[in-house]
Formats: sequence, structure tokens, C-alpha cells
Amino acid sequence: MIFLNNLYAIFRKELGSYLFSPFFYIIAGFFWLIAGFFFWFILSDLIQKVALIEQQGGLTAGVDLASEFLNSYFNVIISLLLVILPAISMGLYTEERKRGTLELLATSPITNSLVAFGKLLSVVTVFSILWIPIVIYQIIVFSASQPPMEITVVILANVGIFLFATSVLSLGMFVSSLSEHAILSYIMTFILVVIFWSLDILSNSVGSPLSYVLSYLSLFKNYAPFLKGVLQTENICLFLSYIAAGIFLTTQSIEVLRK
Amino acid sequence: MIEVEHLKKIYGSTVAISDVHFSVEKGEILGFLGPNGAGKTTTMRILSGYIPASSGTARIAGYDVHEDSMHVRRHIGYLPENPPLYEYMTVESYLHFVSSIKGMAYGDRTLAVTNALKRTGLAEKTQVIISKLSKGYRQRVGLAQAIVHSPEVVILDEPTIGLDPKQIIEVRNLIKSLAGEHTVLLSSHILPEVSMTCDRVSIINQGRVIITDKPDNLMDQMLPVNIYRLVVEGDVVSLKSRLESLDGVNKVEIIPSDSRCILEISSSDKYDHLAKDLSRMVINSGVDLYEMRHTRPTLEEVFLKLTTQEQ
Repeated sequence: MIFLNNLYAIFRKELGSYLFSPFFYIIAGFFWLIAGFFFWFILSDLIQKVALIEQQGGLTAGVDLASEFLNSYFNVIISLLLVILPAISMGLYTEERKRGTLELLATSPITNSLVAFGKLLSVVTVFSILWIPIVIYQIIVFSASQPPMEITVVILANVGIFLFATSVLSLGMFVSSLSEHAILSYIMTFILVVIFWSLDILSNSVGSPLSYVLSYLSLFKNYAPFLKGVLQTENICLFLSYIAAGIFLTTQSIEVLRK
Repeated sequence: MIEVEHLKKIYGSTVAISDVHFSVEKGEILGFLGPNGAGKTTTMRILSGYIPASSGTARIAGYDVHEDSMHVRRHIGYLPENPPLYEYMTVESYLHFVSSIKGMAYGDRTLAVTNALKRTGLAEKTQVIISKLSKGYRQRVGLAQAIVHSPEVVILDEPTIGLDPKQIIEVRNLIKSLAGEHTVLLSSHILPEVSMTCDRVSIINQGRVIITDKPDNLMDQMLPVNIYRLVVEGDVVSLKSRLESLDGVNKVEIIPSDSRCILEISSSDKYDHLAKDLSRMVINSGVDLYEMRHTRPTLEEVFLKLTTQEQ
């Protein structure tokens, strides 16, 4: 009971720090603007393509517009998230270090892992708020799609994004726990995530069997099946491992790096 | 309530504290006095469980601060040098947050927060956002978070730093009011503060506790000298030799100044019995007396003597 109380306290405090700061609204505005633009752009591009085929007397019955849209749009969005997510996680611990509030948390009867978990929950919630318009876009497109889109594919694509985002935020939390500089934390997280994202490509330049292991860790490679509507335990496990590793490393760095 | 023995902390190659030892009884206020960089903050951080000691032991309410850290944390309130405030919160919501992470039950929090607000004189600022508060009020919010959960032990690192004189007096009174109910350890480099608020004082320098005693005892032990300064006019030379013959007088010095003279009389008399003999002798000698002042060594002098001896 006390555990839940404390977790809720940390979660609420952290969520409040986002919702009360103009920074969150700048990030959200930026994300929604770009995501909205690409929604319009990709959709109108696809419609034009179909119109062109029809003009030339081709058959449009075999074109699965909906899944083509899902693929293109989510690939754009996920690249956008690579830029946005580190900005959400960068202040998680840097601010606590800078303001000296880490000293309050570290001398209260709560464990480091509970604090980290509560913080992660709050940024995942922030991400979920950012994601709401994207869900609305999907409802608009897929409710009108002919032939109808398979709902499980759409849900899996969203679950994949959610797991990916949580993993990135968890790693970002760890990076933010290392210093008191938010910008540094942003840059480091971005670089780290880009590396993990493209490990399968990078691993091609390394000889096997290391390349096999590296490519297995790639965020992209583990996300791709979700977008195809394929659910594999190994992909879920990998994302969960990333999330757990982020929390664990954060806990350790808070323990070790006390001034 | 607090027992500290041979505490040592080394950062890399720098020794922050080398031998800190003291104990604080339940309900007592112990002042931790030392120049900047003496190791006060390090000691307090170890006691609060923020950093581990390199060696030595520290126990609070019978629990080891490192091994039973969670238990200790439940029994302490800690105000670090910079109050740990979340700027975007209101005073009230901040204290609610602190009371919940300190493990207070939901039902007890409102009353606890109201009490802490009242005690620290923040009752009118409950809905103010912390970033809008002045330095003095922030310090009070910091104090409020240290006592909101009624901890047995309150650790305050430089609680009056950056406050104006009126606020300092208020905070001192607040700290004094904590005694009895709470055990208080406070650090300061301001001497009058410690001598006014604390039952006992530990003087720390270069990472070592030099002495722990009551402020009065410290002064008596370290500088057992009383000085009387007399401003007189008349035949001071004959008065000087007569004064020197008095029991308890060590030395009489004449310091000429304008038309009058200042007589500085040092005595080893710990108390002020000598004053009446002195005054009687001066009046009977026919010399005009304009002023007679009794000065005792200040804690400042004791402190300087102790800390410079060490170097």
C-alpha cells in the first residue's frame, strides 16, 4: 500500500512538472504540427497515386491503401519520435541534480528503483498524451478504408510504437541520471538511440557471430514485425529488456554518482 | 539518539572528514560549528543516508545509517544546504508530496501539512508557487519539509543562511521550539547562532571534531580570562598600582585616550565577583569613573583559538 502511495506521489509530481512547464507544450506543438503535416501529405500522396492508376484505366481493387498508409506514416512518425523522445526524458534526473532535490528523494524512505519506475511511468504518460492525435488520425483513415483494415494489425503497430517509445524513454532516463545538463543528456540519448535503432545496419560491417547478436538488439529490427502485424515473443522480450535495463542502470547510477 | 564514532569520508584522494565523533541525547540541540569546508555538510550527508561513510559508524535511534538506511530515513528530517524545492509546485502541494514520500498515511497528511505550515509561519503562503517566493520563505519551506512528518531527529545544514536578521531570529526561535520533542543537529559557521540556539556545540575543523561541550563551558575552559575596561579621569598611575594588589587581578594596563584614560584589567576570576571590589576601589580613590565594562571572550575567540591551534 505504501509502495503504491509512494509510486503515485512520484508519478504525480513528475507528470505535474511536465504539464506545468511551457516546454511540454512546445514539444507537443512541434510533434503535432509535423505529424499532422505528414498525415495530410502521405494521405493526399496516396490518393493521387490511386487517382493516377484509375485515370490510366488500371485496377485499384488490389491496392491496399490502408496498410500502405500505415507503413509510410508510422515510418515517418517513428523517425520523428527519435528526435522527440530524448527531449521528453532529458530532464528526468538532470533537474533533480541541478536543483538539489535528488538529496530529498535519496534521503526519503523510498527506493531508487521506485523513483525511477514512477518517473518512467510519468514520461510514458506524457508520450501517450502526445500520441492521442495520432490515434484519431488512424481512426479517420482506417474507418473509411476499403477493403477494411484488419484491426489487429493496427493495434499491433501501436503496441510496437508504445514499447519502442518506453524503451527509448527508459534509456533516456538512464542518460539523464548521469549529469545535470539537460542538453548534454538530450544529445547523448539521441546518439545512443540512433545507434540502437540502426544496430542491424551497423552490425553488417562487423563480422559474425557478433553481428548476429548486435542485429538482434536493434530497435528497428524488433519493431518492424509489429508494423507487419506479426507478434513475436522475442521482440516483446527485447523491448522489455531495454526498459528493465534503463530502470536498473538509473538505479545504479543514482546510487554511485552521489556528490 | 545520534551516535557518531570515528567517521571518515574520503573522496578520491581528498579527505573530507577524518575523525568525527559526537553524540546527541534525545531532545537536545547540538550545534555543529566549523569554518567553510570543515566537513559539516559531509557529516550531515552521511547521517541523512545520502552518501556512505568510508569508515566509522553512525547510528540514529539505534539504527546504523548505512545498513538500516530505510529505517533511519523514516526517523529523520533533513534540510540540505540548498532547500530541495520543486519550483513549479505550490507550498502546500510540495509539503503534501514530501509527507507522502516520507511514508505518511493519506489521512494524516493534511493535518501534518497544516501544522508544519503554521510552525514555519507559512500559513498565508500555502497557495503560492515556490518559484515566486523570496529566499527567506524558501528557507522556511525547506524547514517545513524537514519537520512535516514529525521526525525524531531533525538535521539542518546551515538553516539560517541567506536570511535577513528578522528572519534569522524567527528561524532560531523555531529551532529552539523543536527541542524536547525532536532531537536537532544543526550546522553553522555563524557563532552567535550556535551559542544562542544550541545546548551543546561541537567544533569541527579540517575534518575532525576538536571539542564538544556546552557553549559556556567551552568559553570558560578555553579562555579563562575576564576583562574589565574602565574609562577614568584623574590620578590613574597610583590607582593602577592599587588595583594590581587586588586578589584575582592579573594585569592592569593603561591605554591613554584624549583627556581620559582607559584601564584594562585582566583577571582570572571566572565570575564577576571582582566587579564590586574594583568599582569600590576606583570610587574611593577619588578618580572619576565614566564607564566600566565587563567583557568575556566570545565564542568567536574560542573558535579562532581552537581552529588556528590546529593549523
